Amino acid sequence: MTITPDDVVYWQWGLFTLNGTIAFTWLVMALLTLGSWLITRNLGDDPNLTRWQNLLEVLVTGIRDQIAQVSRQQPGIYLPFVGTLFLFIAMSNLLTIVPGYEAPTGSLSTTTALAICVFVAVPVFGIASKGAGIFLRHYVKPTPLMLPFNVIGEISRTVALAVRLYGNIMSGTVIVAILLSLTPYFFPVVMQLLGLLTGMIQAYIFAILAMVYIASATSVHEGSQDQDEKPQPPVSP
Amino acid sequence: MEIDWITVSAQVVNFLILVWLLKRFLYQPVIHAMDKRENRIRSRMTTAEQRERAANQARQDYERKLADLEQQQASLLAEAEKEARQSRRDMIEQARIDTAEARNQWMQEVKEEKASFIKGVQQQSLFAVESIARRALEDLADEQLEERITHTFIDQLSTLDQGIIDTLSKTRKPATLSSSFELAPDLKNAISRELQTAIGAAVPMTFQRSERLICGIELVCEGHVLSWNLSDYLTDLTSLMEKAFETARSREPEA
Repeated sequence: MTITPDDVVYWQWGLFTLNGTIAFTWLVMALLTLGSWLITRNLGDDPNLTRWQNLLEVLVTGIRDQIAQVSRQQPGIYLPFVGTLFLFIAMSNLLTIVPGYEAPTGSLSTTTALAICVFVAVPVFGIASKGAGIFLRHYVKPTPLMLPFNVIGEISRTVALAVRLYGNIMSGTVIVAILLSLTPYFFPVVMQLLGLLTGMIQAYIFAILAMVYIASATSVHEGSQDQDEKPQPPVSP
Repeated sequence: MEIDWITVSAQVVNFLILVWLLKRFLYQPVIHAMDKRENRIRSRMTTAEQRERAANQARQDYERKLADLEQQQASLLAEAEKEARQSRRDMIEQARIDTAEARNQWMQEVKEEKASFIKGVQQQSLFAVESIARRALEDLADEQLEERITHTFIDQLSTLDQGIIDTLSKTRKPATLSSSFELAPDLKNAISRELQTAIGAAVPMTFQRSERLICGIELVCEGHVLSWNLSDYLTDLTSLMEKAFETARSREPEA
């Protein structure tokens, strides 16, 4: 039983290893891109939408609304990043119902990579929105003594992001594997359904938390009202 | 729980590529399509609002025109009703006048017919009475009556007017004595004798019979007429009856 798809190696050339994580990530990327291309190549502005166009519009509109609700800003510039986080994680977790598939999000390498992306995206969006000075100044507030704690907070929440997603998905996979060996009928299916639900929730949580972090960086130091209106991150399970 | 940093870096790159891919193939086309549709719907809504405004304006115009038409119709109706009422009054008045005229004319005709009828009746009555009386007197006329008539005439000769006496005494023309019956010779002599006595001179006389007189004697001389005739009584009777009819007609109420 493999704990992580990193251990599944398909091909190796020097230091680069084509393991299961990368392979399944490419699969998910290919599915998402191909599906999007197939649907959006014939988009029309007619009020009578196709089912697939309707599905995509519901997805995109839902993500935009969530971003706008959390950030209280225009969702345009955050949509590709946050939306891709959600779609990638959701699709990765959804495909676990396919036999033989290993979710890339069950690899700590993948979740770490996503968390690093968020870790980098926060200052990038913050500086792009407010400028480097204003953004960096909030690390020394309320006093410069808080600088190390703020830095630790940034790092720890990034680690938490990575570990939370990895733990949930990996644990689901492991539980199903263990149940398959103990009670091969019925219970693994139930747990897999539960895993699907957990996977969707984790995708939502990851994307929302990323948006909350970015929103806190882009709306920082705008006065007491902005501080009061700073969106509260949802409680993670 | 190991982290393969090469895999991590590969996943970072993969993720960034996926971000670009989805932005290129998903977000932009979908958002573009939605914006385009939204613009189209907004355009349609604007057009629909303009049409609705135009339709409302047209509806208000039509309602106003309809109200004007109804008002005009009501006004025309009232005017026509008034004219009809006036015309009815005029026609009734005209009919009343015509009826009154016709009635008056009719009454006049009735009155004339009545008068004509009464007159006819009157004349026929007079004629009948006269005929009856004349026939009765003719039937009754006998010698005694004729003799009596003659004596009555002779009595009248004794009370002649002075004018007649003077005329008869001066004239040389014979006096004509007409009678409705043949006078006996003694009666002729008695008359001659009495006339002579009354005038004081002999008067030439001619005797003739006249059918005109019903039952009587008439002496004509120089335009003077002395007679006793039953037809005079009938004439008097006719005059009396005419007077009675005139009196009765004048007492009739005006219709």
